[in-house]
Amino acid sequence: MTVSTENAAAAIHEWLRENVTGGREVADDYPLIDNGVLTSLQTVELVTFLEERFGIVVEDEEFDEENFGSVRAIAGLVSSKTA
Amino acid sequence: MTHPEFTLHDLLHNSVERDPDAVAVVDGKAEYTYGDLDRASGSLCAALVEAGVEKGDRVGVFLEKSWEAIVAMLAASRTGAAYVNINPLFKPPQVAYLAQDCDIRVMIGDAARLDELDPGTVSGTAFYKGERPRERAAGGLTDLVEVLARGDAPDETRQVSEADLATILYTSGSTGMPKGVATSQRNVVAGAQIVTTYLENTHEDRILSALPLHFDAGMSQFTTSLRVGATLVLQRSRLPGDLTKALRRHEITGVTGVPPLWSLLLRNAKSIQEEPLVHLRYIANTGGRIPQANLEELKRLLTELSSTRVYLMYGLTEAFRSTYLPPDEVYRSSPERGWCIGKAIPNTEIYVIDDAGHPCAPGEVGELVHRGPTVAMGYWGNEEATAKAYRPNPLAPPELLDVERVVYSGDLVQRDEEGYLYLLGRNDAMIKTQGYRLSPEEVENLLIGSGLVHEACAFGIPDPEMGHLVVAVVSLKDGNEAAGAVEQIREHVIKNGPPYMVPREILVEDELPKTGSGKIDRKGISNAYANG
Repeated sequence: MTVSTENAAAAIHEWLRENVTGGREVADDYPLIDNGVLTSLQTVELVTFLEERFGIVVEDEEFDEENFGSVRAIAGLVSSKTA
Repeated sequence: MTHPEFTLHDLLHNSVERDPDAVAVVDGKAEYTYGDLDRASGSLCAALVEAGVEKGDRVGVFLEKSWEAIVAMLAASRTGAAYVNINPLFKPPQVAYLAQDCDIRVMIGDAARLDELDPGTVSGTAFYKGERPRERAAGGLTDLVEVLARGDAPDETRQVSEADLATILYTSGSTGMPKGVATSQRNVVAGAQIVTTYLENTHEDRILSALPLHFDAGMSQFTTSLRVGATLVLQRSRLPGDLTKALRRHEITGVTGVPPLWSLLLRNAKSIQEEPLVHLRYIANTGGRIPQANLEELKRLLTELSSTRVYLMYGLTEAFRSTYLPPDEVYRSSPERGWCIGKAIPNTEIYVIDDAGHPCAPGEVGELVHRGPTVAMGYWGNEEATAKAYRPNPLAPPELLDVERVVYSGDLVQRDEEGYLYLLGRNDAMIKTQGYRLSPEEVENLLIGSGLVHEACAFGIPDPEMGHLVVAVVSLKDGNEAAGAVEQIREHVIKNGPPYMVPREILVEDELPKTGSGKIDRKGISNAYANG
């Protein structure tokens, strides 16, 4: 299954609204970790969600701020893994 | 050491004199020396005085962990005011409560965070970092970054002594809102002296600040590093890949963390095995018990491969730090022996006191009572809670007229024949989750705030990784359907509270069971949940 970055981003936005921000939207390039929106434990939960939803596996070395720092970065990672 | 150590900024002055060019703080790609820290905190001190900050005032700090957050604490200390580090995860209702509770006149904060606050949260000036926020939450706005670059001379004519209030550390309160632990300059300095003594810190240390600064144990990495003139590396991301990268890139020599941090670090077991963390001199745990399997794995990957020493610590905000188990004694904490928290930290005594107020013999269960220079001044503006936790020393000679205060921790412990303490549990319903101490009332208050809940009961379910998981049972106000209501309640809680306060599960019952006295039967409800 190939997932476009747009579809991945939509799923991530929805997950953030339901689990982190309480309905508030964040911009695609908003720094989620540097600005303290996403805690490390929430990121672990987000990875579990992405792995189940898109059938991907996130390796531990990929599990960092470069890949999880913004909605755009996460969507890019998901998309590249399903390509 | 040319300055006697009376205040937090005395610690700064000593480190500046030792080596003004030594790196004090690393924030991302930027490095700041002790000289920089002196100049920037001097400039902000001058600006705070200009903004009307008087000795004894409270200055709020609502910043993500950063260089500016470090400067803010020292600047407030130099004015003789107390800094109040606000959990960056707090939402506007908690911040509004804090600001009102301790009368925060001046706030130093991230612009985006200040922008979200309720109008009038701060009566005086807000110093903002970032794009200028709307003029709403505060009475005036000043650009923080511009102030730090000024290089103004600080107002050092104010006499600040060890008896002054240095900071208020907010912790979860049983009235449903956080309560502030009023901490003196003496408490802060004694804490830094004690911790640097047993962790054997020196100016050669490169300490990772992985815990939040509003948390007493997180502030401790800053105060200890400052005291010895070490380098403090600020770490915001706690994602596994970033942790190992930071430990290697910055050649970190010491890390203090809570149990979930070690779980994240251990995801990199393979990488650590292949390339051991050779610079890491020690790790120190606080805020809960590390699951035994993780403790063994840490010893295998760190102690065996890089001679890293493992310290297990125990502390409560009311007295900063209380006990520690040194690396060579860590074997004493095991499933067979129990949760060993070691012995008293230096310059401190730990009593085990029974219900009648008498010291317990070895093997007898009693409450942990802390005596020493880190015993804080009490809870800010809360006489009742203060009288309960801060009591006269039960073992002092009566001629001393009960003036010395010790802290009753609420933790039940047992001392063995060799003097080692074992933690058995608590005598109240306090939840311990992700290193946070959380009162069930605070969660219940948040649930009731949704407007949909009639009665709420929150409690902790033991979990090896998190300490406790938060679970809530609620009854709904008339006319609400369970199915849709739970989603709405959850949304309210996420929007209005920090993440660690959000229950893992919200269950709906028609009515909550009561005790004989008509109170909600929290114990009965949590036992019923645990038994399925």
